[in-house]
Amino acid sequence: MVSLEQSRDCRTKKGINQGMQETPSEQLTQALVNVANNADKKAYAYLFSYFAPKIKRFGIKQFGSEAMAMELVQDTMTSVWRKAKLYHQDKGAATTWVYTIMRNASFDALRKVKSNREDNLSEEIWPLFHDEQVCEKSFKDHLQTNQLKEKIKNLPAAQRDVVVGVYFEDMTQEQLAQHLGIPVGTVKSRLRLALKKLKVELGEQHD
Amino acid sequence: MIRYHPSKQLMHKHVAGELPVGLSVAIAAHVELCDKCRAEVEAIEAKQADMFFTSEMHVDSDTKDVSLAEDDLLFDAMLSDITSLEVETEVVPNEVTMFDYQDRSVQLPRAIAALKLGSFMNAGKVSRARFELDEGPMRSSLLHIKPGGEIPEHTHTGFELTLLLDGTFEDESGKYVPGDFIMLDGRHNHTPKTKDGCLCFTLVDNALHFNKGLSKLLNPIGKLIY
Repeated sequence: MVSLEQSRDCRTKKGINQGMQETPSEQLTQALVNVANNADKKAYAYLFSYFAPKIKRFGIKQFGSEAMAMELVQDTMTSVWRKAKLYHQDKGAATTWVYTIMRNASFDALRKVKSNREDNLSEEIWPLFHDEQVCEKSFKDHLQTNQLKEKIKNLPAAQRDVVVGVYFEDMTQEQLAQHLGIPVGTVKSRLRLALKKLKVELGEQHD
Repeated sequence: MIRYHPSKQLMHKHVAGELPVGLSVAIAAHVELCDKCRAEVEAIEAKQADMFFTSEMHVDSDTKDVSLAEDDLLFDAMLSDITSLEVETEVVPNEVTMFDYQDRSVQLPRAIAALKLGSFMNAGKVSRARFELDEGPMRSSLLHIKPGGEIPEHTHTGFELTLLLDGTFEDESGKYVPGDFIMLDGRHNHTPKTKDGCLCFTLVDNALHFNKGLSKLLNPIGKLIY
């Protein structure tokens, strides 16, 4: 196993990467394998510090918007974390896998801007994860129940504010971000986290 | 054997995600049917990824220092948010979508099956339904032609792409088989006809222009196909 020279401080890591003569492609691939096999957070932090600024730069080029670029980073890197299990080393380098995820997320975002369609066709055009789809839509139907409201009350405050804002006060994620003074990406990830948590809790009760 | 493939230039733009949706859907469908182009797409993806992620280090050092500290704060928050998410472990197998036309049942390529299809309109032996993609003047359709059907000789003011999905047809340039990716523009005249019937994905970016006297009056078919 390759040592990743981890540190909590991102700047230190960037310094190391810049100073390297050869491309760190193999290290990245090894790190992704560690994330895939063990949900290794240190390995993921290394991937994140390498890819996030580059994805941001790509996003700014694509959208001409800092906020949308950060959203692209968020979407791409969330998929890298959550779907790492679906990565196979024999199918190519980590850089290729991340690039295709970024390309897909960017394609869907551009389509939303240009045609106002949220059909997310990229996964059909360039299948990366096959059909596994998270059913966040069917979840919405249960939102009325009191039992769920109880669960929402018990969420950590940061997550609760986001869930309540989006689902009970009908704010858009952008409005909510402004209201709470946090980036839209953070709203999204808190929301995802909260929904996941609620689903797990409700699922357990229904068993 | 498939003889007509997307050009290198189209493939590169496709991989970069720079093409209109209809065109990328057609290329994806072709790639699903053509092993050679699938390998090609994978090679281009690896190359573009490498160019983007590992050959651009020099750009990094000039431009990134300005908002670095601020970015680091955002990135740190994002990183800890993401890693507190649970990872996904399941892969659901792909579903196969069949399409029935005339007396046949055909498996549709995944990218095409995912699109919303309007209802079919008929003119003689030709039936056409539009995909709802909202791409302005560029229109993607599913077209089937009954045995013995023919489309009058025409040229194209823009371009016309035909991806043959089932059956065969022929024109002045020869005979086509399923998977053939046929890109025509204003330089081409053709009169496609099918002996045994066929099913195609088509993409046209402007109404067709009919060349011969009577067909000029038959413009409905031009609009139908467009």
